[in-house]
Amino acid sequence: MRVLVVEDELRMAENIARSLREGASYAVDIATDGEEGLYLAQSEPYDAVLLDLMLPRLDGLALLKRLRHSKQHTPVLVLTAREEKESVVALLNAGADDYLTKPFDLGELLARTKALIRRGKGQASALLTIGDLEIDTGNRNVHKAGKTVPLTAMEYRVLEYLAHRSGAIVSKAELLEHLYDYNWEKFSNVIEVYISGLRRKLNHASARQLIHTLRGQGYMLQ
Amino acid sequence: MKGLTKSIKGHLILTVVLSQLVLAAGLVFTGVFYMEERLQAALDADLQARAMSIAALVRYAEDGSYNLVFEKSLVPPSPDPSHPDFYEIRKGPTVLARSSNWPADLTFDNSKHKTYRSLMVSGLPYRALYLREVPILDREEAPPSSSDTLIVVYAEPTLALRNQVLAAGVYVALASLILLGATVLLALLGIRRGLLPLQHLAAEAAQISAQNWELRPTPDVKRVEELKPLTDAMSTMLDRLRQSFLQQREFLGNAAHELKTPVAILKSTLQSLLQKPRTAQEYEAGLGQALDDMERLEKLLQWMLRLARAEQWAQGALQRDLQEIDISNTCEEAMAGIRSLARSRNINLQLNAESNLVCKADPEDLELVWVNLLENAIRYSPAGATVDIRISRNNGRGTVVVEDHGAGIPEKDLPRIFERFRRADPSRTRETGGFGLGLAIAKALVEAYGGTITPESTPGRGTRMTVTLPAEQK
Repeated sequence: MRVLVVEDELRMAENIARSLREGASYAVDIATDGEEGLYLAQSEPYDAVLLDLMLPRLDGLALLKRLRHSKQHTPVLVLTAREEKESVVALLNAGADDYLTKPFDLGELLARTKALIRRGKGQASALLTIGDLEIDTGNRNVHKAGKTVPLTAMEYRVLEYLAHRSGAIVSKAELLEHLYDYNWEKFSNVIEVYISGLRRKLNHASARQLIHTLRGQGYMLQ
Repeated sequence: MKGLTKSIKGHLILTVVLSQLVLAAGLVFTGVFYMEERLQAALDADLQARAMSIAALVRYAEDGSYNLVFEKSLVPPSPDPSHPDFYEIRKGPTVLARSSNWPADLTFDNSKHKTYRSLMVSGLPYRALYLREVPILDREEAPPSSSDTLIVVYAEPTLALRNQVLAAGVYVALASLILLGATVLLALLGIRRGLLPLQHLAAEAAQISAQNWELRPTPDVKRVEELKPLTDAMSTMLDRLRQSFLQQREFLGNAAHELKTPVAILKSTLQSLLQKPRTAQEYEAGLGQALDDMERLEKLLQWMLRLARAEQWAQGALQRDLQEIDISNTCEEAMAGIRSLARSRNINLQLNAESNLVCKADPEDLELVWVNLLENAIRYSPAGATVDIRISRNNGRGTVVVEDHGAGIPEKDLPRIFERFRRADPSRTRETGGFGLGLAIAKALVEAYGGTITPESTPGRGTRMTVTLPAEQK
């Protein structure tokens, strides 16, 4: 999953990014002003946007309206210092999916971001089940036929993304875009390494293949 | 009585009662006087008629002796038999006839033809008429060429007249008293009605609170002309109070809001540090960051305290012993303090001090004013530009001008630049730093020392801040 944090307080943005990387294994990009935020949100395929309201150049509410106007449906979580009812109503009407008032709890921010992404992908529960595979996105534990499967952070990222899109074909390019942040060099063969690692760990007890390769198109979890 | 004079109602009632009493006394007095005059005139006319009628009873004796006789049996009866009239008829000193109750010692001023006199006879009031030269009517038996005349005195008791006047006086007085009672009642009702708008206004004023600042006078209050200055004054006063109250509340809201950001950063730093077990080096780095965040919070608090202190000082709440200080020295200190910021933005600071001016102030306060103005000028100047500081003396006051050649401030924003927590960019850029308190503090401090601060700006050409202070030349 890849998340954009638009926040002009760099220290705040870094803390949020660190928390999302360490606590949810998300790829995180940071924009420190409204215009950069809008540009990134429109050009990169994010799974969620965390948006501060007080921003230089373009304020959060205007950014949100322009984003929704350009038919972008990425879930948006607004971070606001104001908690007046009118501003909350205005935010939700402008297309925000959720909001948090500052100072907030990073744990809550993490949980809300996860829930937003889940709902954005059509999943109501934090527990994803595909056959006998269970993925708990809350604590990032993976069980296969009741047994815990130990995964690396990157392997988990790939699996979680595929699980959210289970039954659909996910291209390598899509995986790259959603699993890495803007500053990373993208090598497509890295994906193959993670996929083969995942297959090995998930299949050692059963003969049924969960991750299918569709030549020239991508992968599918089913 | 004391209670009466303390209230408007009491005052009015007292006035009504007093004026009514004066009126009643006047009525009684004039009524009684008029009545007495009229009755006495009637009595006098009656006296004359009676005197003439008894004079007509004098005739010459039929025996040709030309003696005068008086027909006593024909004297008309007295109107009041219990206090009979008395009379006397004389011809010169000779008494022709006298009533039986004629008082012994009765004399008249006989110089006049006709004299009325009020007198007391054995404890009773009487009115008497003295007539001289009354001709004798009897012409048949009169001696030829007779010119005999009579002196007639006739008196009637005036007890009945007195009683009538007294009764009339009592009647008028009683009627006045009843009318007075009725007027007081009416006045009470009228006053109560008249004062009702005052009660309504008080009830309306009692509704005023921190949530409801609007005075809405009821229509009856608006109709009363005398209440208009009061309601107007109340409305203006409420307006001013609300203004300052809202300002305070806004400042509190803004301050709380501004404090939230550094607190949120500090909290997130600590929370992300605690998210998972870390190495000692990571903890150390995290704590260092938390300390940095803390310092920012501390700095904001210091600025807010400084503003509060400056405003308190401006209100004269703090009294300090002040030394005379050189204004240009404080400018140089301020420039030294801000030089590193100017250098980082490649801005040239230029001081031009025309004269040595001193003023009574805390040097730290003045330095803070210049630092804030310079910082603002530097932040809104393009790289390579110059910021000018000019010190001069104008009209007995020290003038310090800080001028930049930056983008300037749009005219509509000029009056608002001294608002607290206000930054030039509406989305409140943090890139240029600061908390938006600098200019507010500068204004409060300058005004605390009896000075003024005036912004002027030409968009595209730059901004000029002119500070004047009471100063002397040394």
